[in-house]
Amino acid sequence: MHVIMATDGSKQSLAAAKYLKTFADPTLVTEVSVIAVVRPLAAVGFADDLAEVRTRSGEPQFGSFREAADHAVQVVAEALAGWGPKINKRVRSGSPANEIIKAATSLDAGLVVVASGSRGISETVLLGSTAQRVQQYAPCPVLVVRPAPRKKATRQKA
Amino acid sequence: MTDVAADLDRRGDRGELKRSITGRLLFFYVLGDVLGSGIYVLIGLVAGAVGGAFWLAFAVGVTVATITGLAYAELATKYPRAAGAALYVNKAFGNRTLTFLVTVCMLAAVFAAAGSLATGFAAYFNQVWDLPPLLLVSLVFVVLLAVVNYVGITESVVVNMVMTFIEVLGLLIVMVIGIWYVAEGNADFGTLTDFEAATNPVLAIIAGVALAFFAMTGFENAVNVAEETIEPAKSFPRALVGGMIAAGVIYVLVSMAAALTVPISTLQGSDAALLEVVKADILPISLTFMTYLFACIAMVAITNTTLVSVVTQSRILYGMAKEDVVPSGFGKVHSSRRSPWVALIFSALVVCGLLVIGWLLNEAGVGVDVVERLAAVTVIFLLAIYALVIVSTFKLRGSDEDDDTFTAPTWLLIVGLLGNLVLLWYVVDDDPSSLWWCAGLVGVGLVLFLIEYAFGKRDRPASTGRGDTVTED
Repeated sequence: MHVIMATDGSKQSLAAAKYLKTFADPTLVTEVSVIAVVRPLAAVGFADDLAEVRTRSGEPQFGSFREAADHAVQVVAEALAGWGPKINKRVRSGSPANEIIKAATSLDAGLVVVASGSRGISETVLLGSTAQRVQQYAPCPVLVVRPAPRKKATRQKA
Repeated sequence: MTDVAADLDRRGDRGELKRSITGRLLFFYVLGDVLGSGIYVLIGLVAGAVGGAFWLAFAVGVTVATITGLAYAELATKYPRAAGAALYVNKAFGNRTLTFLVTVCMLAAVFAAAGSLATGFAAYFNQVWDLPPLLLVSLVFVVLLAVVNYVGITESVVVNMVMTFIEVLGLLIVMVIGIWYVAEGNADFGTLTDFEAATNPVLAIIAGVALAFFAMTGFENAVNVAEETIEPAKSFPRALVGGMIAAGVIYVLVSMAAALTVPISTLQGSDAALLEVVKADILPISLTFMTYLFACIAMVAITNTTLVSVVTQSRILYGMAKEDVVPSGFGKVHSSRRSPWVALIFSALVVCGLLVIGWLLNEAGVGVDVVERLAAVTVIFLLAIYALVIVSTFKLRGSDEDDDTFTAPTWLLIVGLLGNLVLLWYVVDDDPSSLWWCAGLVGVGLVLFLIEYAFGKRDRPASTGRGDTVTED
């Protein structure tokens, strides 16, 4: 089975990848494609929360959203490394939900894993988030990994 | 990061690196962004400054802007990143203070542009429903756009295309009215060569261009999507220049139509000048219907461009936070929406602040045309940045070039540089009080820097220096 592991650069998406490892059978999963989507028309095309603090010489960096996406994919792929299945890394561009669904269709995926950020008001009141749209339109089963309640989250960090 | 970059290249060869902005999309992005930014708002002022020949001001203005666009195209193909002028100036001069200043000026320019556009939006809104006060309409408009950006509706390429088509449609209506009028045999073509009696024609045109130049801005936002453009070396220059030329042709035809159908004095006195063309009641269609339709189209056009400026504002603030030159809060993105909500709120507050200050000054008896003043402020900042970008183009000749780099004709760039400088001199000379607004906006950037300088150490690990890339935990 081909699994699509979507990352939006959030910590939650890394947690989703780790969660997948806890129950999925690596002998049945043949391939995992880690996918990040850069949003060209958004204010922030891709925000990478998974980057380590780096020390740099005083040169301004002019962050590239594509590099940020690439880094996030790298980190998530590393979390899955050594688990068993072959890991692919892909960065696409466009609307995240669309691109994830397109990737799932073209790769003939058996499962899509997405993270859902918060249970905040914007999630319920405003238009559907990426996770919601993916689970509505995906051509295969979808695993939405929601954040743990607050207390557990702090324990995880520690 | 270099490993990642190398990895990126390899995967590019394997065809897995998917970019989504085609040349055609970029063309419409540029066209939509440029068209909305001024002709609906400023045409009356330009007509007043030049006289019946004000189409010349639009022609000259768009020429200077297109040449500047060539410099952007050259640099964007060399350094395809979503950073723009600040990146180019940094590459050329390597001076951190200058880079910071350019970034702050760019930020200030988009703040002022959004304020001017919001006021223009209110003027058209007023034509449809005149109950709410103008200030309230413009404030609500700014807040709504921040919310829309937070939700992310504007990221849809389709929405963008549709809005651009509507914008072009509005200007087509004006052109059709003009053609109809000419066909009826009522047109007096002498108007097209009329100049304001009192002034020298050359000075009148420079004055007109200086005012009209606001309508030419916006193309520089094309670098926002440079990184995601397919075959940038080929499609970027074509789309950018093509979009500018298309906008220029539309501008010239629209201003000719307006000059032929409406007396210059009426255009000059109107807050929503293009609507006067429709109100001349030349087409055999219900006037009320046409007025509503046209006001709505104008609002869509202005909205489209303002949305891009809101995106640019929060993107610049986000980038600055990542560079550690403004407080790191601006680098916060919402956990699931991935929108820089702090930057969005702050930008909306600054733009609302500008609108309120303009209103207060008017209330206090200091007559300020908020649209005109903020447009002038935008133009001052952008002209300075454009000139600097052209100089950077020259300085960066011979470095980082490969077969794919687009090279702009040198003599054209020199003409463009002179054009930008002449206009800059004229705008400042004509309206020195704009400089106070400029200083105020740059001050906002400096205050943020000082806050970060004084208090920012807490969120920066001890081992790193200021300006190092520090990512939050």
